[in-house]
Amino acid sequence: MRWVDFKDSVKRFWSDFKHQKSGMFGLFFLIVLIVLAIAAPYITSPNIPKEWQTGTAWITNPKNAPPSWENYFTSEKRATQVEYTEKNLHIVKTENGSYTVYKMTFTYDMNYDVPPKDIVITGLNSTATKPQDNPVVTMYVERPKEDGLKYNTMMLLHNTQLPSSGVIQLAYTQQVKSLIFYWLYENGVFKIPMQLPDSLPMDMKLMYLTQQIQMNSTLYGYFQSMDPMRVIFGKMTDNGKLRPLDQIINSPEPLKGTYKFTIVITAPSYVKVDFSNFKVAMVGRTYGLLGTDQYGRPIAIGLLWGIRVALAIGISVSVSTVLIGILVGVTSAYLGGWADEAIQRFTEFMMTLPVLPMLILLSLYFGGRISLKQLVFILVLFGWMGTTKVARSMALQIKEQTYVEAARALGASTGRIVFKHIVPQLLPYAFASIALSVPGAILSEAGLSFLGLTSNNMITWGQMLNNANANGATLNGYWWQVIPPGLAIAFVGLIFVLIGVSLDTVLNPRLKRA
Amino acid sequence: MGMSFGKYVAYRLVNAVIILFLAVLLMSALFTKLATIQLTDQVNSEVQQWVRSYTQTHHEKPTEQMIEQYKQSRIHYYHLDQPYWKRTWEYAINTFTFHWGQSFQKVFGTTVIVDQIKTALARTILLFTTAEILVIIIGLALGIKSARSPGSLLDRTISILAMVTTSLPMWWLGMLMILIFVVYLGWLPITLYSQVEVSGWTNILKKMSLPVLTIVINLFGGWAWTTRNIMIGTMQEDFIMVARAKGVPERKIIYGHALKAAAPPIITMVIFGLIGSLGGAIITEIVFNWPGMGRLYYEALQLNAVKTMMALNYMFAMMTVFSMVLADILYAYLDPRVRIGAAARS
Repeated sequence: MRWVDFKDSVKRFWSDFKHQKSGMFGLFFLIVLIVLAIAAPYITSPNIPKEWQTGTAWITNPKNAPPSWENYFTSEKRATQVEYTEKNLHIVKTENGSYTVYKMTFTYDMNYDVPPKDIVITGLNSTATKPQDNPVVTMYVERPKEDGLKYNTMMLLHNTQLPSSGVIQLAYTQQVKSLIFYWLYENGVFKIPMQLPDSLPMDMKLMYLTQQIQMNSTLYGYFQSMDPMRVIFGKMTDNGKLRPLDQIINSPEPLKGTYKFTIVITAPSYVKVDFSNFKVAMVGRTYGLLGTDQYGRPIAIGLLWGIRVALAIGISVSVSTVLIGILVGVTSAYLGGWADEAIQRFTEFMMTLPVLPMLILLSLYFGGRISLKQLVFILVLFGWMGTTKVARSMALQIKEQTYVEAARALGASTGRIVFKHIVPQLLPYAFASIALSVPGAILSEAGLSFLGLTSNNMITWGQMLNNANANGATLNGYWWQVIPPGLAIAFVGLIFVLIGVSLDTVLNPRLKRA
Repeated sequence: MGMSFGKYVAYRLVNAVIILFLAVLLMSALFTKLATIQLTDQVNSEVQQWVRSYTQTHHEKPTEQMIEQYKQSRIHYYHLDQPYWKRTWEYAINTFTFHWGQSFQKVFGTTVIVDQIKTALARTILLFTTAEILVIIIGLALGIKSARSPGSLLDRTISILAMVTTSLPMWWLGMLMILIFVVYLGWLPITLYSQVEVSGWTNILKKMSLPVLTIVINLFGGWAWTTRNIMIGTMQEDFIMVARAKGVPERKIIYGHALKAAAPPIITMVIFGLIGSLGGAIITEIVFNWPGMGRLYYEALQLNAVKTMMALNYMFAMMTVFSMVLADILYAYLDPRVRIGAAARS
């Protein structure tokens, strides 16, 4: 085929394909997917695949949280995830004797019926080598003004050590509970038999208070059952009168408004403190676009990165299977005789093997948890037979045509006849069947991943569904873990089916229907 | 030179048995390797256990020689002392003749693999036959209907439905069904799908309802679409034109002439569709906790029960091979030209 002819036929093909509405629809979304797959590291962060399994990046995320926009459809608004980093924390550094003090403030608008699940402080890196050199954190919050309440400002942390790569989860920290009780006591919500002298340092006050709480079984019960977040963000008064302790703890009501948080970090002057990874998270009860899974990993990020594996597997498997299938089929038809017979028997043999059980068996043979390359290999191994059958019967027809006979009479070699005269005739069929066999490959990958047979090193939609199944997502009603990955698989499959059917209509006009 | 129908059937069956045996041999070669790893571990743990119990009863440790002797006897017991190919061959023969033996762990309350598979097979057949019958009825009816008016609203809807549903993983559709009908609408109790075993006929029927619905939704579109294409192809043939020209009523043309001519490819499609849905079916059973072959496979996979998996692979291969033979035989029965072709070749 000359270059001019080739250009001409491509032009003719394109002008036909342009009129295929569904094909153009498919092509458009294929381009969108490719762009997203390439852009994934820039949209999110390049080390997502490494972080995906180890999970330190997800520590500040809520587990099994639904998407934030679920709030638009429910009467009870639940807090969404908010994170503060170096950029929006306004860190002010001052020296105080032999200590360096970092003070930061931020505001949080609490307009939800259900407050955040937790407040997490993490990512502080310091050069401290001894435990006593670790930076210490003090935190307080200025709550919205309430009539009938003496003190607005509540201390949440008092000189708590924060080593490098350490995490403070306020909802699970004993000291936070003690400090909240101290604040409630100061406000006169409850009384204790022995007054705390004002002159005592904070640590001692907390110690005395805790001792007295432990001696009083009712108080201790409240102390144990308290959800600190519901109290921090809860109403203390009703119409200017203090609410009783029982109501504050057991039937908390949200106090909406702006909360001003202050964090003070103190470290010895010779210890360097690095805030580049520092993060304060208001752990939401809802999260982002598509919620999170049981490890706190955002579904949206998994979905985005999954495009890469889906496209890689779909395209490499379909191209390889179709090319191998055509080569085997054409060779078989061209050789004829016993070689043809042998190839056909082998093809039939391969076709009679049950696909999924064989894929499972081979995955186990490769040691379970197979890599991307092994996966492509076994999918190709069990995918080429259908194309071979069709290619052989087409090649048999072409072989009988006069121009092939003429070429043979002119002394053309076998290779030349196969590649110059027979294979080009099969290309239109090849293009269509490549597109049409992509969904099968993606479905097989999803199936094997769902069974837990593929490597953890890649992010795939099948593995997300496997995860969801392990988490009991369907029976727990975690729809955001089930629906998006499946829809993604179906959507990519649909795109290729649309393209394939359109290619078929354009390239194989015989199949055009009334 | 025609071949009698009986001879043709016999020829295909012998062919099928040979292919099946080769398939078993291949699987056996792969599984023997897996089993070697597992059995070596088994021997080591048995030897350790023996040393422990010997020490307890005799109050002294057995000598190295005794340990070695015991180890050799265990290796001999599991045939590990025989060459790889010999074991592969024996394993293949045993599998082929249904001598599946016992699994190390209990599955479905028994270690006898034949019993495990009997239980599972009956339940899988119950579920999938029901679903496939519904799919065939709905698919054929819709396909024929849309073939009568190509380009109509129904026809276009079916084309779109076929494309969408064939891209959906059947098992994911199953998860969706549970979310909708069990969790959100609450029409069926959660315990039905959180437990594997249910008792009582009404409960089994209730448990079947969602998987059956899933399979039907997943498959009917594709079937209707293929039926439509085959029917439209047939409707363009000359003999239909002749029938039309003779004034045969349209109903009779469709159900008498066209459907009869289109039957062989449709039947092939029906059977190949069954084989094709096998993989999805395995995972669908897992999603619904349906105690059939797929669920058994999953449990065997979790427990690393190699023997059970081998037996299951054999059963799946058998189902595939014999479905294909059945398709061939039915095709030959309905379209005698095939037999002549086969006879000419053989």
